[in-house]
Amino acid sequence: MLQKKHIILIWLLLSFILIVLFITDVFLGSVNIPVKEVLKVLFTGETNHPEYLTIIYKFRIPKALTALFAGFALSVSGLQMQTVFKNPLAGPYVLGISAGASLGVAILVMGVSTFTVVSQFGVLGNWMVVIAAWLGSGLILFLILAISVRVKDIMTILILGIMFGSATSAIVNILQYFSNESMLKAFIVWTMGSLGGVSSAQLKVLIPSVVIGLLITFLSLKLLNAMLVGENYAKSMGLNIRLSRFLVFFSTSLLAGSVTAFCGPIGFIGIAVPHIARMVFKTANHKTLLPGSMIFGGIILLLSDIISQLPGQERTLPINSITALVGIPVVIWIIIRNQKLTSVS
Amino acid sequence: MDKQNNILKICDLGIGYQSKRASNNILFDRINLTGNSGELIALVGKNGIGKSTLLRNIIGLQEPIHGSVLFYDKPVKSYHRSEFAKLVSFVSTEIVNISNLKVFDLVALGRFPHTNWFGKLKPNDLMRSTRALEMVGMSSYAKKNINEISDGERQRVMIARTLAQDTKIIVLDEPTAFLDLPNKYEIVHLLNKLSKEENLPDGLSAEQAGKAGKTIIFSTHDLNIAIQEADKIWLMLDDEIIEGAPEDLILNEILNKIFTNTNLSFDKLKGDFRMKRKHTEKIGLFGEGIYYTWTKKALERLGYSVEKGNESIKNIKIEFRNDSCKWTLIDGVKMEDFNSIYDLSIHLKIQTRLSIDRL
Repeated sequence: MLQKKHIILIWLLLSFILIVLFITDVFLGSVNIPVKEVLKVLFTGETNHPEYLTIIYKFRIPKALTALFAGFALSVSGLQMQTVFKNPLAGPYVLGISAGASLGVAILVMGVSTFTVVSQFGVLGNWMVVIAAWLGSGLILFLILAISVRVKDIMTILILGIMFGSATSAIVNILQYFSNESMLKAFIVWTMGSLGGVSSAQLKVLIPSVVIGLLITFLSLKLLNAMLVGENYAKSMGLNIRLSRFLVFFSTSLLAGSVTAFCGPIGFIGIAVPHIARMVFKTANHKTLLPGSMIFGGIILLLSDIISQLPGQERTLPINSITALVGIPVVIWIIIRNQKLTSVS
Repeated sequence: MDKQNNILKICDLGIGYQSKRASNNILFDRINLTGNSGELIALVGKNGIGKSTLLRNIIGLQEPIHGSVLFYDKPVKSYHRSEFAKLVSFVSTEIVNISNLKVFDLVALGRFPHTNWFGKLKPNDLMRSTRALEMVGMSSYAKKNINEISDGERQRVMIARTLAQDTKIIVLDEPTAFLDLPNKYEIVHLLNKLSKEENLPDGLSAEQAGKAGKTIIFSTHDLNIAIQEADKIWLMLDDEIIEGAPEDLILNEILNKIFTNTNLSFDKLKGDFRMKRKHTEKIGLFGEGIYYTWTKKALERLGYSVEKGNESIKNIKIEFRNDSCKWTLIDGVKMEDFNSIYDLSIHLKIQTRLSIDRL
């Protein structure tokens, strides 16, 4: 059992790490900007080099904010799915939610119009992308939900989720086959996941969507705690199952869908981060796990982004590969630790 | 009967599974049962006969095919879900095995229908959760993880959760299913005690708290325990459900019906069940007291029909020599001594096998 003092200390430490990583992430990029100048811009907003100002405000800060909010969103959606499905391996990526969002975007990008046309709409185009992603992820979630009403076995649902994800990817592949070269390239770059590609105009869509998703989750804390013990128990304690499921699935689609829309599918944050939070805070209570997952999500995605910059180099690695390399060991650890997989979340 | 006492009434209830395509699969038709406060009710029946289905109907997790379940003369459906959750709590057969979930947090979840939208635990909620853990004797486990305690302890915690939920009626589906024998008895005894106790102190007026205690309904297939602890048995037979005090059911020869078509029969004098055995061979037995009783049991298990003091057939004499008990097998002119019932039974088994081989 952790003492109150320890918990406060952990929070302070984590917040400090988060801030340091945020500043480091702003500092790093393809153009070298001295640390002094970065801090100057961040804290005073003034510098003798106007180009630094542009780089920092137009690229670096949006990138770091994207990493921060995508980290919040993915880990919180993972946390909620692990509770609702009572499965430690649930997450937006594993259950095909990200794949669903990809399908939505793929249909928009390659099926309906071209990336250029969409981007010409400006903010409206961004909304189109994000709505397509929401619809895609919502569709997969709805399918899984519909099945979970009939099929009680969680492993079956998980496998079906993976199947849906694969089917969705297959459709996306077919779409790719019929699309022209430039659209294909745009889409493939998108699937690799990128935090740096998010413009400040897109941030104006991403951040509000994530904030709303998080707000809904904050409002569902009591419901999530009740769902931990299973739906029969939750019902017997007076939980409105339909409303709770709707709230959780709505916010999950919003969170995972929005991030996927702008950054591409980013794997393993959603599945791994909630476990790290549980491990550190040693609780199953969502009142601690929600902020805990958020802060760890932010830290890990910022860290992944810093690694992907390959400090000192001009290229950046696809963020998806970094998160996979960071997240997979955690997932392996979960599987080895509770081999039975009955031990929930 | 005092009308106010009649907390639960089941009227003409039909249970089963509704299906759209085929005709309804009705397990039981026209069930009529009652439950009063201060009663521990055991729902007894064979595996798969529909005990869980009946319980699910009672707590509103499943829709009845016809008829109704009334609490305080109001059908389950007419209660709002949070109102109902303050009236009836439930322990299912699902094992709650969540890593990092603290025992106290699980018990406090029982306060769910009493807390606000954010589930904020007020001093009263904390006090009631603590008291609930005390009532099941698990106070020292409050800070442990739920997946690090034994099955019996977990069941107590689940019961504490229903106490924290503070309901007049508690329904438990097979609460003793995974437990060893001492734990089975302890859990059912605890339920008996809780059904007689007053509700949690303070906060409630005397009428609300109900001096008469709770109505606790649990399903089980441990008839022995049910007979010893329950105030009432709801006995599920193949086509009807009969209710009554366990003693009434024994005296009316109703309890015997549960095991028709099986090899079990009910011993009315001893109050327990035994296998009907096919006896192949007779054997005589000489002895006294407890040694006689247990030797007889062993011989019956081996398939002998025991005749007391019959010297004319193969027989066994139980004697004390030098403070230790000896069993002497006399078969015609052959005599053999044994130091334990086990040695004797091995010898008898070999003999039987030899005679079968000879045939």
